[in-house]
Amino acid sequence: MEHYLLIIISAALINNFVLSQFLGLCPFIGVSKKMDSAMGMGMALIFVLTLSSIIVYLLDTYLLVRLHLEFLRTTTFILVIAALVQLVEMIIQKVSPGLYHALGIYLPLITTNCAVLGVALLNVSEMNNLLESAMNGFGAGLGFVIALLIMSGIRERMEFSRIPESFKGAPIAFIVAGILSLIFLCFKGFAV
Amino acid sequence: MSRWNELTKGIIKENPIFFIMLGLCPTLAVSTKVIYGIGMGIAATFVLIGSNIFISLIRNFIPDKIRIPCYIVVIATFVTIVDYILNAYVQPLHKALGIYIPLIVVNCIILGRAEAYAGQNTVLNSILDAIGMGIGFTLAITLIALIREILGSGTITLQMLGYGWVWEVPVKPMTIMVLPPGALLTIGILMGIINHFKQKEK
Amino acid sequence: MLKTSISPHIHSPQNIEYAMRNVLIAMVPALLASVYFFGVRALWLEIISILTAILAETLMQLLLRKPVTVSDGSAAITGLLVAFNMPPNIPFYVPVVATALGIIVVKQLFGGLGHNIFNPALVGRVFVMFAWLPEMTTWNVPLHPDWIRHFNLFHINLDSITSATPLAVNKLQGMSALVSQFGSKTQLYLQSFLGNTGGCIGETSELAILIGAFYLFSRKVIWPTVPFVYIITVAVLTALMGQDPLFHILSGGLFLGAFFMATDYVTTPMTLSGSLVYAVGLGLLTVILRLKSGLPEGVSFSILLMNGLTPLIDKLIRVRTYGKQSKRGRDHE
Repeated sequence: MEHYLLIIISAALINNFVLSQFLGLCPFIGVSKKMDSAMGMGMALIFVLTLSSIIVYLLDTYLLVRLHLEFLRTTTFILVIAALVQLVEMIIQKVSPGLYHALGIYLPLITTNCAVLGVALLNVSEMNNLLESAMNGFGAGLGFVIALLIMSGIRERMEFSRIPESFKGAPIAFIVAGILSLIFLCFKGFAV
Repeated sequence: MSRWNELTKGIIKENPIFFIMLGLCPTLAVSTKVIYGIGMGIAATFVLIGSNIFISLIRNFIPDKIRIPCYIVVIATFVTIVDYILNAYVQPLHKALGIYIPLIVVNCIILGRAEAYAGQNTVLNSILDAIGMGIGFTLAITLIALIREILGSGTITLQMLGYGWVWEVPVKPMTIMVLPPGALLTIGILMGIINHFKQKEK
Repeated sequence: MLKTSISPHIHSPQNIEYAMRNVLIAMVPALLASVYFFGVRALWLEIISILTAILAETLMQLLLRKPVTVSDGSAAITGLLVAFNMPPNIPFYVPVVATALGIIVVKQLFGGLGHNIFNPALVGRVFVMFAWLPEMTTWNVPLHPDWIRHFNLFHINLDSITSATPLAVNKLQGMSALVSQFGSKTQLYLQSFLGNTGGCIGETSELAILIGAFYLFSRKVIWPTVPFVYIITVAVLTALMGQDPLFHILSGGLFLGAFFMATDYVTTPMTLSGSLVYAVGLGLLTVILRLKSGLPEGVSFSILLMNGLTPLIDKLIRVRTYGKQSKRGRDHE
């Protein structure tokens, strides 16, 4: 049990996918202007990341590796992720229109979120079993949400700041991300 | 003249990183050494050229509705080729770039060029577009890598497989610059400075 | 003690200079203590940092075509805080880089005084800490008080006797090693309180920091809620974890952080309940980092992380705008 908790904490805080591995950086800068949309994006991502980790793991172990088709990994994974996102979108739309309303517009954006493919690829090389992969996916999504919420809070506050014209928007967002990444280094446990 | 424009627009005017601001994830993670930046740039350029040619060739046969999945399959194929070539011939680079090679698939620049350019233009123009964008991408990532390596390690590495040089720069290296925060701060400040000069021009 | 005003605290410009001047005065005891324990070198570190801060602020404001407001004293405070957070024998370029980064990037690029999200001095400090880790974690032992008799303003070399900070010793070897190092528990508490231990030059003397803090309370420049809740949280949590609470609150940068950096108006929550959440969060993070992470000290990181969370805290715990009536009140009219 503790082992799995450690995987989640590690993926969410210590090796935060956005702030220390740059996975999912484009949506991190793009969707963090408003807290509501950040929350929607984050929840959709946790959902897709957990699910895709499970499916990709199963597919890789029971199909690609058995048939010695490892060279098809990149292609298969991205197609599975794209199809999965589509499927999730349709199911949510049918089952829960309320949830669809909340997450709907963020789902298509997730296909090209490199965090999803990144986590799938890392799972294959680093995780040993199905539950570990799922926890890693969940932790990565959680870490993304934490970082995205902090970031969107800061950016909402900065809306009224007198930031120099040329630094408004993406440049200052990167600088904030840099400072957050600096702060998150404390979780790394630099042995002093 | 217009052909020349197709080529050069990607290098400065619409430089993918600073002015279109796409394709950031691979840029930052591998920009700890100049040679890695160049390697990443070349790998992405190869994929860009290959997929642009192929998509431009088949653009009239793909049904409009499923064009994005088709583009993704084409791009993923070229990425797999690059992945295996690097693994076979340039192992240290393959190791250094790691999962950021397969992640070229979701790099927004490549899908973006396929969708915005190669899907609507002739093969020759698409090649020029890809080369221009590729060089622009390579220059930008190399610039960031140069800044980070000089400040972070006090060296400039242009060495791979025993060929090339490593220069020592007389600065007191700041470890932080080769860690993730260094990359984010560098690109933020660089983008701000470039914006500043762009706004002045207007 | 808990008599605290509802925010916003001081946000009007005519009060800024008054507040900043008083903060500078309140930092003088800690400055004197730093020079007493770590010699002229500490004084030079402080002078160089303040000059860098003033220079960076002036240049940046000229470059951005803004009015130069360096006389309000806020840049000097940032410079002095950076110096306070440096080990005694640090090369002089380190505080220069830290101060310049704090002022230029963390303060001016975010819109200047009143708009910064993070504490500039702390970001500078953490940046150089990960830039030059060996230099930033070499701790010289305090000088023998005899040095004053051979006073020389340019005698900036310290003896090369170094030792781990009490927090690091506690973490690596345990409390008993510390007690035997200082002779007795009482001696450990007393020397920690006075400042006669290894550490950053401005943080070791809790006595000097307290004198400055009570001056600020008497001038109503800062409110005591956040610092005391922060310190009490650390004490309670360390006691619960089986550590010595008195040792933990008297060690490291807790007092300096609590009274001079966690009380900044701009980077802390606006409401009373918000600041309580903020202060408890600070204590929690500090104890976790001190006891569980690879770092011996966690005050700087805790404050920065809570700075980052402040907009969220403010958003979740909203203050009702003064003068705005509730719906029912309007219905009655």
